[in-house]
Amino acid sequence: MAYLRYLGQRLVILVATIFISITVVFFVPRMVPGHPLAAVFSKLAAMGGSLNAPELIEEYTRIFGLDRSLWEQYVSFLRELARGNLGYSISSFPSHVSDLLKPAIPWTIGLLTVTTLISWILGSLIGAVVGWRGQKSRFFQALVPVALVLYSIPYYILAIILIFLFAFHWPIFPLPGPYSVGIERELSLEFVLDVLRHAILPALSIILVSLGWWFLSMRSLITSLKGEDYILQAEAKGLSDQRILWGYAFRNALLPQATGLAISLGHIVGGALLTEVIFAYPGLGSLIYSSIQGKDYPLIQGGVLLIILSVALANFLIDITYPLIDPRIRTERAGRG
Amino acid sequence: MATARVETGKGYVGELLRNRKFLIGLIIFLTLLTLAVAGNLTTDPASRRSGSFPARLPPGPGWPLGTDTLGRSIAVQISEALPKSLQVGLIAAFLGTFFGALIGFVSGYFGGMVDAVLRVLIDVFLSIPSLLFLILIAALVKGVNVQAMALIIGAFAWPSPARQVRAQVLSLKERAFVQVARLSGMSGLEIIFRELMPHMLQWLGANFVNAFLSAVLTESGLSLLGLGPQREMTLGMMVYWALSYAAILQNLWWWWAPPVLALICLFLSLYLIHLGLDEVSNPRLRSQA
Repeated sequence: MAYLRYLGQRLVILVATIFISITVVFFVPRMVPGHPLAAVFSKLAAMGGSLNAPELIEEYTRIFGLDRSLWEQYVSFLRELARGNLGYSISSFPSHVSDLLKPAIPWTIGLLTVTTLISWILGSLIGAVVGWRGQKSRFFQALVPVALVLYSIPYYILAIILIFLFAFHWPIFPLPGPYSVGIERELSLEFVLDVLRHAILPALSIILVSLGWWFLSMRSLITSLKGEDYILQAEAKGLSDQRILWGYAFRNALLPQATGLAISLGHIVGGALLTEVIFAYPGLGSLIYSSIQGKDYPLIQGGVLLIILSVALANFLIDITYPLIDPRIRTERAGRG
Repeated sequence: MATARVETGKGYVGELLRNRKFLIGLIIFLTLLTLAVAGNLTTDPASRRSGSFPARLPPGPGWPLGTDTLGRSIAVQISEALPKSLQVGLIAAFLGTFFGALIGFVSGYFGGMVDAVLRVLIDVFLSIPSLLFLILIAALVKGVNVQAMALIIGAFAWPSPARQVRAQVLSLKERAFVQVARLSGMSGLEIIFRELMPHMLQWLGANFVNAFLSAVLTESGLSLLGLGPQREMTLGMMVYWALSYAAILQNLWWWWAPPVLALICLFLSLYLIHLGLDEVSNPRLRSQA
């Protein structure tokens, strides 16, 4: 019962997020002075009266009903969105925005899930060990300031340094790009290895920074659990040090650590998008970057909306699986959220 | 009462200065600030134009940090960029902390429906990467300057302070002194400003520094995407120009390295100051190490 109520709360947040972000995406271009398609017009003018110009403007006016009232426009925006229609791209008309977004999605999801999982798991494990035995080892103590410095650097700044050091100065890794120029794009071992080799530096820049954070947060969680009654009791029972750390302290610290993941997902995604730009990695971040450079507003809008909705959904999924590792939330904590 | 407050103030500052993280952070920050101000005062604004210097030269006399492809001195650029980046951070952090605190106070203090609605709003805006909304807005506004940039960033900086202020108010408002104030007939706003505010100030300081940090971070991110102030120099814009002229691959390290180093020092110092403030106002957070 309490779980259902918790689920309901999370669902409200999810629906509100979707609704608010769609509304913001709809109203922002209309609040800025000038025609909502001003960006379209200026781009067309810059292209020197492109062949498709009148058709494009007509199509836009028809689909989004720009001659009708704001409310009717909003309803038709929602209707088109529900059909998955994000409008047409300007710089590559008549491509649909959704068709341009599709090929970018796997790159971003691949990079983000792999790096986030690696850094979260690795950071939590190292953080637990250092939090538990930290005081006894100089080496463990020295890790703390290193993690602190790493964490305070944004991904994309670290990315620049990594490119300079390991792709330019000592060319161990390839220069920025998704794969080598001129390689056959097919499902061969050679191509896969090439893609992986190109992905190492972008992945490393995200992993190193977020590893620092998960390490610091797990370390302080474990340190604060040390004096708890159940730990003392486990010690008094004569359980092994290993068993107390992994079976008692670590398991309890995992809960806030998982919440931390849900809370910072938005930041991770924002930072990763910029890392893609630096590495010319063909995900959504680079797509948004090139659409900004090409003043392709519908594509910017579509990309932004897609990312916001995915983050909201991912957050929701983390939130609803959270009670599975924390039985308390099914009962007492549910009301407080 | 007045003397008591002065004494706690002194104790607070003293404790802060004994906090190693705060002190190191403050020293780095002040050093950066001094360098920036000194640089800004000693450079002639006319020397900011492209072509004022010979192009692509490594550090040397007359251009202590070298020059870029467009014939601009890197030292001159950084003396303009650092104060402007700090300005963005300061304005945005002030807006974010102020409106965040206001929303958090109202939500936590009044409770009920107001709280229910505001809490959902706070949660929603916390979970959305605000960088994306900012991209949406900045891509539309033509020719942003530093102030406009700060306003736009500040408009999305409120959720995190709001959430934390709300939690603080919830825990404070059940305390005896608030009950007494309520019984003695103070209005809601009076209680917020005269009774709760003083308890929150130290703690709002930590929040302000945090908002400052993320505003500078956001500014550099937006600039990197080409959405920064094109006619002015910020640290993010410096990195943007260096990258768009492929400074790394042309081995013009003196072009990209100074803004990158300045950003790292800035982030590190603000983060250390934030940690220090947090530890001093929340003794429970102090690490046992």
